[in-house]
Amino acid sequence: MAQPLVKKDDDRDDEADYSPFLGIEKGAVLQEARVFNDPQLDPRRCSQVITKLLYLLNQGESFTKVEATEVFFAVTKLFQSRDIGLRRMVYMMIKELSPSADEVIIVTSSLMKDMTSKTDMYRANAIRVLCRITDGTLLTQIERYLKQAIVDKNPVVASAALVSGIHLLQTNPEIVKRWSNEVQEAVQSRAALVQFHALALLHQIRQNDRLAVNKLVTSLTRGSVRSPLAQCLLIRYTSQVIRESANNTQTGDRPFYDFLEGCLRHKAEMVIFEAARAITELNGVTSRELTPAITVLQLFLSSSKPVLRFAAVRTLNKVAMTHPMAVTNCNIDMESLISDQNRSIATLAITTLLKTGNESSVDRLMKQITNFMSDIADEFKIVVVEAIRSLCLKFPLKHRSLMNFLSNILREEGGFEYKKAIVDSIVILIRDIPEAKESGLLHLCEFIEDCEFTYLSTQILHFLGIEGPKTSDPSKYIRYIYNRVHLENATVRAGAVSTLAKFGAMVDSLKPRIFVLLRRCVFDNDDEVRDRATLYLNTLGGDGAVVETGEDVKDFLFGSLDIPLVNLENSLKNYEASEEPFDINSVPREVKTQPLAEKKAPGKKPTGLGAPPPGPPSTVDAYEKLLSSIPEFANFGKLFKSSAPVELTEAETEYAVNVVKHIFDGHVVFQYNCTNTIPEQLLENVIVVVDASEAEEFAEVASKPLRSLPYDSPGQTFVAFEKPEGVPAVGKFSNMLRFIVKEVDPSTGEAEDDGVEDEYQLEDLEVVAADYMLKVGVSNFRNAWESMGADFERVDEYGLGPRDSLAEAVNAVINLLGMQPCEGTEVVPNNSRSHTCLLSGVYIGNVKVLVRLQFGLDGPKDVAMKLAVRSEDEVVSDAIHEIVASG
Amino acid sequence: MILAVLFANSEGNILVERFNGVPAEERLHWRSFLVKLGADNLKGVKNEELLVASHKSVYIVYTVLGDVSVYIVGKDEYDELALAEVIFVITSAVKDVCGKPPTERLFLDKYGKICLTLDEIIWKGYLENTEKDRIRRLVRLKPPTEF
Repeated sequence: MAQPLVKKDDDRDDEADYSPFLGIEKGAVLQEARVFNDPQLDPRRCSQVITKLLYLLNQGESFTKVEATEVFFAVTKLFQSRDIGLRRMVYMMIKELSPSADEVIIVTSSLMKDMTSKTDMYRANAIRVLCRITDGTLLTQIERYLKQAIVDKNPVVASAALVSGIHLLQTNPEIVKRWSNEVQEAVQSRAALVQFHALALLHQIRQNDRLAVNKLVTSLTRGSVRSPLAQCLLIRYTSQVIRESANNTQTGDRPFYDFLEGCLRHKAEMVIFEAARAITELNGVTSRELTPAITVLQLFLSSSKPVLRFAAVRTLNKVAMTHPMAVTNCNIDMESLISDQNRSIATLAITTLLKTGNESSVDRLMKQITNFMSDIADEFKIVVVEAIRSLCLKFPLKHRSLMNFLSNILREEGGFEYKKAIVDSIVILIRDIPEAKESGLLHLCEFIEDCEFTYLSTQILHFLGIEGPKTSDPSKYIRYIYNRVHLENATVRAGAVSTLAKFGAMVDSLKPRIFVLLRRCVFDNDDEVRDRATLYLNTLGGDGAVVETGEDVKDFLFGSLDIPLVNLENSLKNYEASEEPFDINSVPREVKTQPLAEKKAPGKKPTGLGAPPPGPPSTVDAYEKLLSSIPEFANFGKLFKSSAPVELTEAETEYAVNVVKHIFDGHVVFQYNCTNTIPEQLLENVIVVVDASEAEEFAEVASKPLRSLPYDSPGQTFVAFEKPEGVPAVGKFSNMLRFIVKEVDPSTGEAEDDGVEDEYQLEDLEVVAADYMLKVGVSNFRNAWESMGADFERVDEYGLGPRDSLAEAVNAVINLLGMQPCEGTEVVPNNSRSHTCLLSGVYIGNVKVLVRLQFGLDGPKDVAMKLAVRSEDEVVSDAIHEIVASG
Repeated sequence: MILAVLFANSEGNILVERFNGVPAEERLHWRSFLVKLGADNLKGVKNEELLVASHKSVYIVYTVLGDVSVYIVGKDEYDELALAEVIFVITSAVKDVCGKPPTERLFLDKYGKICLTLDEIIWKGYLENTEKDRIRRLVRLKPPTEF
């Protein structure tokens, strides 16, 4: 008995291995498709051939134009068959082949016939096919039928027409928009899916008409929507309406909030989730509004469905960025997700916990994460590392355990991006938390002992060179650095030589030993390493004795190259070898203005090591270098502040000019950044003529013209004014650009010899009180306020008059004072009637200033403000009040 | 928009791939990305247990059904929950066509029907039909019963 049974099993296995499409070949199938032309059609055989064609198409195979046309014509013959199964296949095949406009004509009549057929299903399918292959002209012919179909009794026909409408709206919007009434009727349909499709289409038709969308949402939120899918759409449209109307409501409850809250009790999970997410994304959502949404999301966290868990933790992760306290209730549930099989869920849970956790839970959390790190992919690990970095900055006292964690994972396997993220994090922690410095540096040292990435090794060596000599025992790093000279490739070796030299320069007692090491490097087999060693041996001086290194040598070693590398590269390329050596002073220092403006952009986070700065290290440093290199301004003292560039021309004018205001104690320098946008012109002797008649306290003392301003190569001209020392003088300046213009032959690029003098009017420029204030934040305003003391506190109240909103008034005062808002107090919650804003800054003369602003709405629009100032100098406290009083 | 529906066998060979609004040059990338995702994560997963991932602004929900793995990719309104709904419709309709979670052979035997079924469920990137009974009837050009 056993024998046949076994045999049967064998047979079945054979069969399972054998694919019906084994060895399928396009040419053969196309041959087979000739059966479509048979006078006596075999529906079964034809269906099989279509299936094969579909299989080919679904495998990514494509037909040539000729092949597609041939198949298409053959398929149209199949309309003759009355076999229903085959007809369904034919509909699909035509859609797949998407015939060209000149071929479509062949099937239009058959499809039009089906579209008006008594058989509902022919109608539905014909509509879908026609709408897929049709163009505008044909659409107007069939529009009447489509409008009828939208309100057809059969839900399949109605849905076919509605979904077709959604697609056609992209190509023929004006036609589809005419169907509004029918679609509106379909929204009321009893069939759930028809309602869903109709709602989607109606919203798309009306999406640019805010009032209509508002009306649609208002009527539907009152009535009942049958399909959960449609309900989800409705929730999304409702959020949109809330967003757009939020600015208009000053007081009272948020419109539609009750509807969203009600949806949290819907029976479909999809709807509950959509509503919860909509609530969490409301502008300025309050904790009272958030609570019910967080509660349902918390329930989803322990759902058996991974998708729900993922959705919930993803949403909570976002909430944690803005309202970490609201999410803390979910921490226990989230901790259990760390071991979730799905790594995306686990990572999201961890990063959320890292945002919401408190200081006491850090150690426990780190233990859990350690187990988890080994089995996730690098991209997830990077997310975790970044979260840990922010956590450490938040709780600096925990730096020991967090730094240990980072060093442990640094030793494990991982790709470049992951390792770079860890190294960047350690570097940022070293910079921001002084106590973490020594241990962090040692971790980095250990890492370079076994680091496979040249880039990271050189970056760490560079960093060690800057930070290592400042530590309590610099000598302990030398071994790690010198090991590199023995064990690594030339790039790393050269980096190590430079780092050794930096130690030698900064730590006099180490100098003799550094010299010994550097001398050994002179025999390296790489040019660059040898050159560097020789250079440093010659510059450090003292011939290996314990002597102090000269300041100029330190400047050379540690100062940044104050020349943009691009300029240096260009100059070197243009240099022709001759008797005259290359002069680095001939390299232009003028930097393009655009990158500077970008650097000023707010919100840029420190990014750890990064590459050594390609141009100037920071805007302020760059400006300082630039100004001190101009002899006329050299004796102005220390630069106090440089403003952001102020545009003095409209966009896309012949000459683009913006100005940066540099404030010194007794001087102001205007740096005009000019760009010539006309290829046929060369400008020479460019200068800005400034009329300071409306700035009485300022007297022009110097100006530096720009010798030449070729097309699209920015340049700078400067004008300097003297002003009373330490006084925040204000005034208005009118500006005229004056230059000699020379015609340029665009074919040769050569300018004519003779030029014409010309002028170009620029916009006026003002020096305001905020120019004398540096934006310097404090991390804990309360502490700073208390420790400043009330000795020089000045308090007064001001009426700000009618304002558009409280937020607008707050912004106006912040801009007037030019101070740094602290602790996010520059953001005014919607609908609030009072607000406190905390500001900090440094006033000219290096006087710290703290400001506490209390705003209140007095009547419907009038804003009143109480201003409390504390500073280190009563004159400055009074000055701040004066600025506000006169602003 | 539902950007892609992809069926693969246990070795990662493609059985069905349908893209909507994905440029031809990106399809190969998506195909290999999804197959790798499946190879990394689908081992030992129970039938129809949903897995989820997000890649940039795009969501992916995928699962195993018999010998085949199913991947759905969506963006914007088709987030992980909407895709979970779509994949549920697809897996239940495919089971309905095959009578059970299919072996690769069975899947290929029913290939034509499965293509028709997908054609009813997704219309150029939008979800059109959601009930398997109705889909079964529509594939045979029969009107839905509730009508």
